[in-house]
Amino acid sequence: MLVGTTALATTLYFSGASTAQEGHSLEVAEIATMSQTDEVPDGQELFEASCSTCHGPEGQGTDNGPSLEGVGEASADFQLRTGRMPLANSGQAVRKDPAFSDEKIDALVDYVGTLGDGPEIPEVDLEGASLVDGQALFIENCAACHGATGSGGAVGNQALAPSLTAASEVEIAEAIITGPGQMPPFDFADAQLNDIVNFVVYLREEPRPGGADIGGIGPVPEGFVAWFVGLGSLLLISRLIGSKRKADAEDAA
Amino acid sequence: MLKWIDERLGAAHWARKGLKKVFPDHWSFLLGEIALFCFIILLLTGTYLTLFYRPDAAPVIYEGPYEPLRGREMSAAYESVLRLSYEVRAGLVMRQIHHWAALVFVAAIVAHMVRVFFTGAFRKPREINWMVGVTLLVLAIGMGFTGYSLPDDLLSGTGLRIAYSAVISIPFVGPYLGFLVFGGEFPTEGIISRLFVLHVMLLPAAVIALIGVHLGVLWRQKHTQFAGKGRTERNVVGKSFWPQQFFKSFGLMLLTGAALALLGGLVQINAVWNYGPFDASAVSAPSQPDWYVGWLEGAIRLFPAFEPTIFGVTIPSMFIPGVVIPGIGFTVLALWPFIEQRVTNDRALHNILDNPRDRPARSAIGVGGILYVALLTIAGGNDVLALTFNVPIEAMVWFLRIGLFVIPVLGGFITYKVCTELQSSGARPARRKRGTRLRRNAEGGFEEVPSDSHS
Amino acid sequence: MRPARWIYASFVVSMLGSLGLVAYYLIGESAQVEGVLLGLALGGMGVGVIGWATRLMDVPTVTEEHDTLESDDSAVEQTEDMVGQDAVTRRKMLLRLAAGASATLGAALAIPALSLGPRPGQSLEQTKWTSGARLVDRFGDPQRPEDIPLNGIKTVFPFGYEGEADSQTVVIKIDPELLDLPEGREDWAPEGCVAFSKICTHAGCPVGLYRAAAKQLLCPCHQSTFDVTTGCTPVFGPAARPLPQLPMDVDESGFLVATGDFQEPVGPSFWNMDTE
Repeated sequence: MLVGTTALATTLYFSGASTAQEGHSLEVAEIATMSQTDEVPDGQELFEASCSTCHGPEGQGTDNGPSLEGVGEASADFQLRTGRMPLANSGQAVRKDPAFSDEKIDALVDYVGTLGDGPEIPEVDLEGASLVDGQALFIENCAACHGATGSGGAVGNQALAPSLTAASEVEIAEAIITGPGQMPPFDFADAQLNDIVNFVVYLREEPRPGGADIGGIGPVPEGFVAWFVGLGSLLLISRLIGSKRKADAEDAA
Repeated sequence: MLKWIDERLGAAHWARKGLKKVFPDHWSFLLGEIALFCFIILLLTGTYLTLFYRPDAAPVIYEGPYEPLRGREMSAAYESVLRLSYEVRAGLVMRQIHHWAALVFVAAIVAHMVRVFFTGAFRKPREINWMVGVTLLVLAIGMGFTGYSLPDDLLSGTGLRIAYSAVISIPFVGPYLGFLVFGGEFPTEGIISRLFVLHVMLLPAAVIALIGVHLGVLWRQKHTQFAGKGRTERNVVGKSFWPQQFFKSFGLMLLTGAALALLGGLVQINAVWNYGPFDASAVSAPSQPDWYVGWLEGAIRLFPAFEPTIFGVTIPSMFIPGVVIPGIGFTVLALWPFIEQRVTNDRALHNILDNPRDRPARSAIGVGGILYVALLTIAGGNDVLALTFNVPIEAMVWFLRIGLFVIPVLGGFITYKVCTELQSSGARPARRKRGTRLRRNAEGGFEEVPSDSHS
Repeated sequence: MRPARWIYASFVVSMLGSLGLVAYYLIGESAQVEGVLLGLALGGMGVGVIGWATRLMDVPTVTEEHDTLESDDSAVEQTEDMVGQDAVTRRKMLLRLAAGASATLGAALAIPALSLGPRPGQSLEQTKWTSGARLVDRFGDPQRPEDIPLNGIKTVFPFGYEGEADSQTVVIKIDPELLDLPEGREDWAPEGCVAFSKICTHAGCPVGLYRAAAKQLLCPCHQSTFDVTTGCTPVFGPAARPLPQLPMDVDESGFLVATGDFQEPVGPSFWNMDTE
């Protein structure tokens, strides 16, 4: 589309070289706007094409997908921007590359927002957020599923609370508000929401003063390292120091 | 100088005896030494930590450099560990070396115990040392548990809660015992200082005393040796203690220290600042104890929801996996020399070690036992495994519940077969092939000589 | 013997490591640098010592003869005679009294151990929840049903006991149509809000994981799973008892209040708990 537009514009530019200069740029501008107007995605159309099979033609839900009434723009934005929707296979919706461009996501989000009265896309402002409050709120509300370091965990029946390293600030806030999948929704004051998002972001770049953090999930990887690296290296050293032959000289036959 | 001591203690004679003492030098005899050296490093780093740690549950406000906790109320114990990690120079590396040393310490004990088991070194006259050794293993696990609970963080506090529940679950005496040990209903302010007394005074004293007994008995009875040329039940063939064995051991101690120093500096362990101070109404997932308690955690996870009430006495579902099974397990382990004696009717003195293949039954039982404990330990981390392999937790639990009975039996059976096979074929798969080559002899013919002979 | 220069070099490496550590301690703080320098210091010397021991010490293999461990019979007899001499063994009455005194002395010395902790009494059967106690969050703010989003979860305590471990409770809001609570609890769930003890009935960990779509509480410690719609009955894992439910209502001001304590003991089971 874009290439075509450029080609068209270029051809017209050269073909219109003999006409007056003032009109010329207007022509290109018109052509440019024309192609943009053609491209404005229609949220409802997109929805009917891509989402209605599972969510129903008016988002009322089917056997294959829940109703989207009242889920709000925040929910749609989260699911689409993280690529969870459209669902690739049955099972938990997981992060993957978004299936739609930003404009199409915006259009779909607008449309889903009209299906009832749900939460809007939250505004995240980390200026002045408190790390201390964020840490306390995170441990109280989030660590039980996502882990104290945000590494994620299994939450039963093949559901996973994902690692929190990839989500953007807005996505984190959206997830907290909307409770996607098995995650419950939370009702925090704006300041608290900002605190939690700020803390999650902090966790990613937190210094690890002790060295390599081997996953940050505690004693399980530590145990592996202790056996294979710790004891393993000492066993190798022992074999180098001691004799390998059970008998020192030739065997008694 | 020796003369100065000799004039006062008459030492020269037994000093000479000691320096001359013969030790066989197979590499697998060094495993116990590795455990000993880990313990020495634990003592040294532990003493350093004790000078900074405060065993006090009283609340304080944190004012240190770790931002997410600044201004938070926490126990003085937790605060002292944060200070040690972030404000005391070399504090973090000491703490980490200490914790890595604890993990490797128990691993070395287990490796050593496995060697002793499979070579039958526990037989008469060494039953005492075996029982001392099993006791040392239990004490080492206890030292680890009390130690990692000292920082009073969210992860270890969760473990303490489970320990408390295990004590409470004992019929008739459980609640009284639990309240006595903890000083009341969980959580209590007193438990931290009690764990401290256990960890730095009572348990180390017991361990040091028993190590003394363990080494003393070994010294008196002389070390066992593998069968071979010139070796009998009535001698020991090897190198004398001084100079070579001593220097090799000393070098091994330094290298153990080096390995632990590298781990302590390069690989982060037990980052308690991430968990935050203990809070009885919060929890992080995944939650595991250190690996050497993992088998207990696994047993508790796998045991089904069986909680009968017999004659008005409820048997809580964690009593059997949490108290009974470990009790039986360690008892059987400690009494193994006598169990084997009963079965084999072998009451002779043994200073020559078995080749594991020559005792297929014992080896099979040993492998089965190791697989059983290994599966329980793996089960302790079943949620992490479910996450890693992307399977449902429920499937992992059932796989392990069934595998716990099937896999050790299968493994024991295979071991038995392998042992009898190796026995009958005489093959030595672990031996490096020396090979042979042909050499022209003086008469003009050929003869086979070992390939590493030079001529 | 070849001089084996690597052995000499190892000791030099060790010295450099040690001196480096001394210097670095004064100027820097990285645990990684400290660990590596210490590792070189110890490792260098270790390699040097072992190299010396294995390559440069020309030591022959020696044989040492065992002396029999067992002493000869006469020695054992003599010892037995000495231990069991008449002055000790003939005094049967004294021996019995001494044994009795030792046992009672043991009891006397052991009894102060009971000072270590109080008797449980009713502690395990009660929490701080009482009739009329408002449900508050950690900061002491009372909760209304509206404060909890549908399918959301919140940790609460009785008013005045914020943070109290044995009273920790979770409130979950569920579509009332989905509730299938045991008999007698129909009015324990105002506006679809149900409250349960957060202490797992298996080993006491806080049951913090809520699977919102499946309406299940999962305990992270040993994966006991509880179905909220049927009153937190255990559906998987080692927990055998449901999480006790808090009887709840809404007071005149619209705040959630308890209408009594839990009706079973919270947390893990014990031998003489009331199981009705």
